[in-house]
Amino acid sequence: MADKHECDNGCKIVSIPQVATIEEIKDEIVDVKTFYLNIDDAGVREKFRIRSGQFIMCTVFGAGEFAVSLPPSPENDRFHISVRQVGKVTRALHALQVGDKVGIRGPFGNGFPFEDIKGKNVVYVAGGIGLIPLRSSIVHVLQNRKDFGRIILIYGARSPKDLMYQYNIDEWLKIDGFETYITIDSPAPGWTGETGFVHNLIPKANVPVDNTVAFVCGPPVMFNSVINVLMEQGLSDDCIISTLERHMKCGIGKCQHCAIGRTLVCTDGPVYTYRQIKTLGEQI
Amino acid sequence: MYLIKKSEVLNIARELAKDHLVYGPVTDEATGQVLFDSLDDPGKADLGAPIPTIPPKNVVFPQMECIYSYRYDKNSRAVDIRQVNAVKPKALFGLRSCDLEGMRILDRFFLGQEFVDDFYLNNRKKTFIVTNTCIAPFAQCFCVCTDSGPSAKEGFDLNLTELGDEYLVEAGSDRGKALAEKLGLAKADGSYAAKKTAAVDRAMDLFTGFAVENKAWVSRVTNRVTTGFIKEDVWEYIGDQCFECGACTFVCPSCSCFNIEDVNKNDGSTERLRSWDSCSYEGYSKMAGDHNPRKPVEDRRNKRFFCKLSYSQSKKYLRPGCVGCGRCAWVCPGDIGLPNVVTYIRRETTK
Repeated sequence: MADKHECDNGCKIVSIPQVATIEEIKDEIVDVKTFYLNIDDAGVREKFRIRSGQFIMCTVFGAGEFAVSLPPSPENDRFHISVRQVGKVTRALHALQVGDKVGIRGPFGNGFPFEDIKGKNVVYVAGGIGLIPLRSSIVHVLQNRKDFGRIILIYGARSPKDLMYQYNIDEWLKIDGFETYITIDSPAPGWTGETGFVHNLIPKANVPVDNTVAFVCGPPVMFNSVINVLMEQGLSDDCIISTLERHMKCGIGKCQHCAIGRTLVCTDGPVYTYRQIKTLGEQI
Repeated sequence: MYLIKKSEVLNIARELAKDHLVYGPVTDEATGQVLFDSLDDPGKADLGAPIPTIPPKNVVFPQMECIYSYRYDKNSRAVDIRQVNAVKPKALFGLRSCDLEGMRILDRFFLGQEFVDDFYLNNRKKTFIVTNTCIAPFAQCFCVCTDSGPSAKEGFDLNLTELGDEYLVEAGSDRGKALAEKLGLAKADGSYAAKKTAAVDRAMDLFTGFAVENKAWVSRVTNRVTTGFIKEDVWEYIGDQCFECGACTFVCPSCSCFNIEDVNKNDGSTERLRSWDSCSYEGYSKMAGDHNPRKPVEDRRNKRFFCKLSYSQSKKYLRPGCVGCGRCAWVCPGDIGLPNVVTYIRRETTK
């Protein structure tokens, strides 16, 4: 599924975290902040390479470690993570200031296909903070625009103030040939765009079926309704790709907390096709 | 092959104690329990004791260990991460073959997959292993059904087999051979191979007396678990009897799930502790924000038996995940030790 990485595990930070500095903090939406990070050790920083769809284990010193997906593109993008505060460790992360240190291990996981989907139409369907892991692939594909067919983004959130990466969306809307559909759940004052759930926009976007791959990420309810519509449209289940979240402790396939079906999300995933997801036998 | 008198066999442990931390089976006088523990006096090792209550996995994979510690100074923003120093070489004396197979499963899992677990490697490297052939099975054993006994085939440095007044000593490695030579053990002639085979055959014959028919069904059930031909209500029946205590996973020689927790100390440093975890616990797969994809107990129970009996796991471990020690049947307050689960699934599939 994933493209081959030029180096094997040699350039990954496997056991002991590397220290990184928070260079900038950006408020995104309620409870979500973006942290721009820079690994302190220059030698490690040089070798640190990611693929879209991978994740890192991030240590908040004194609080713990958590798995977090990577929104930056592997090419020419500042390294950052976007995190919603939802538990003990992420709350501690949100309390940190510019200049504070965190620990990084990784990157882990298979990542989104990139070479395999060249020449195809690419459809991104995201709900809420589901845009975070997809951002990496979106930016990467836009950087290699000529290698792909139609590129479509269908993105929905509860309200205008719940739209992630507003500054990126503003840019994307201006890109010629990048078909973007942004929607919010119900009408809001000042909102002139689409309203309603994302899956209702799929027919409107005239999503292609042949030679097409769709990336879907969002809350389980949204995920299921989007899958239904895409399948109705005639997309095959092995052309629908998503990334799963699980409770993780080690990131390297040892602790088994992320076991799902016969696979481990940390080493066999987190990117799965819908065909694979159907065989896992667990909730999303 | 070498020979050593029964009265002198503990000299092997004493020799190892010179440059190893020696662990071996000891009977606790107060409770009568057999423990596999570090030996202050190697002469206390009890080779005739039944298999220990807890498998020796805690020697290489401690129930709780600090994998590294760190200190973060909020003012200067300096981070100091300290790794645990190299540990003293260990020797496991009198390991039963089922427990050796359990450890070999852990080796393949921690060291042989995509990533190597450095912390396990640190505990495991330089470990000298002396196994002890079971010349008679114990009441709960079924290693003959899981191909892990009664005698160890490989993976040991020395293997002992009791033959009357003496022990046959087989070297499984160069350093095992070196130790036997150093102790000046008498060479055993070729006839001893047949004597050992006879002793092992006798032990296997003893299994037929009490290894009830269900135990022979392990491979059949592996097939069923792998192909998924097991009805939901069988798992529900098994799940209904689970107390979610986690005991089966803790006493299992091949269970290796762990949790990692950061614990802040009074001196301002933080220890990153890893400890045994159990897939039977409800919070095992719960994510921040309380989403838990794996809720019902039967859903979590079939994960464990999938781990022990499925073909996909066997491919990873190069053998079934169960080593037939029978400890889970010992400790389960319900009635779902692995042999019973095999029975339940067998009954279902033969209906």
